[in-house]
Amino acid sequence: MERPASTDVWVIVAAYREAKVIANVVADVKRTGHHVVVVDDGSPDQTAERAAQAGAVVIRHPINLGQGAALQTGLDYALAQGANVLVTFDADGQHRAADIAGLIDALVRDGADFALGSRFLGSAVNLPAQRRLLLKAAVWFTRLTTGLSITDSHNGLRAMTRHGASHIHLRQNRMAHASEILHQIAVSGLKYVETPVTIHYSAYSLAKGQTLFDALLIILDLFARRLHR
Amino acid sequence: MIAQLLLTLMLFTILLYATMTYRQAPIIGLLTVIAASWGLYFVWFPSHATRLAELVGINRGVDLILYTWVVISLIMLLNLHLKMRAQLELITLLARKIAIADALRASEPRPKDGTVPLTPSRPGDERVWT
Repeated sequence: MERPASTDVWVIVAAYREAKVIANVVADVKRTGHHVVVVDDGSPDQTAERAAQAGAVVIRHPINLGQGAALQTGLDYALAQGANVLVTFDADGQHRAADIAGLIDALVRDGADFALGSRFLGSAVNLPAQRRLLLKAAVWFTRLTTGLSITDSHNGLRAMTRHGASHIHLRQNRMAHASEILHQIAVSGLKYVETPVTIHYSAYSLAKGQTLFDALLIILDLFARRLHR
Repeated sequence: MIAQLLLTLMLFTILLYATMTYRQAPIIGLLTVIAASWGLYFVWFPSHATRLAELVGINRGVDLILYTWVVISLIMLLNLHLKMRAQLELITLLARKIAIADALRASEPRPKDGTVPLTPSRPGDERVWT
């Protein structure tokens, strides 16, 4: 793949109740020169308004559907707008916009269709020990179920080519979408690479993070999905 | 005899339901067919049910039939859950279409006063201007 122009890159931010931080996140990403689309997942607060004021294209779900559903909406929209590279980026401020360049470099340099951010190749600032353990267990589970050789399975910072994105069809509306994406990457047989990124945990992002109970729900969701077509 | 006929009718209805379910959820369909067939067999051969019940420590054949019924009910509950998930997928597709259509409409040229249009997706919302 040739190096894309800044305007060929669309950064997709799925947001729910992120009015406190979304403007800063959008402003940070806008400095890269890429398009930013915020999918507001039916937030009852000012998330959509703040994102629009900060310069993002805002898509609003009429009802709350979940992060997976919001990401797929963003992917569909960006593909329809002619995006050549699509980046998914968390709305809670724990990602660094500076890492987007590294992901795109990896797509170009390695000819991959997916560049997956890894906090365990890069760094995870203020990551609590319990969360680290949970993430390691998720990596082990993902390796076992998908066969992908990865070091980080639930990192929302990833980039994909247009071709790669066309192979992603998320049906897990909620948090299980992270595992579903990896499963679909494995099924597609397309090339993926991992890229070091920095995740900065704040009290705000930790409060929104996943717990052991969420992890169990994710496993149940993945299991239930296998039971019907 | 009346109880046997009633149970048979109900279990045949469940078998029919299972075959209809099979296309959407093969595993559920198969489990329901097995459980319902098992139930039918014991309804008409209660002595076998009693023997099997004693073998597995339940004591009475009638209890075994009740347990079978509980299993069938649980499988059907699971199936209802899966149907709800399928409905949610349809709702998601619909909401996505609406959200993207609204966003495309909002990206049309802005009013001269420079306000930013947002999409009126939420029920009761008028067009939001900021």
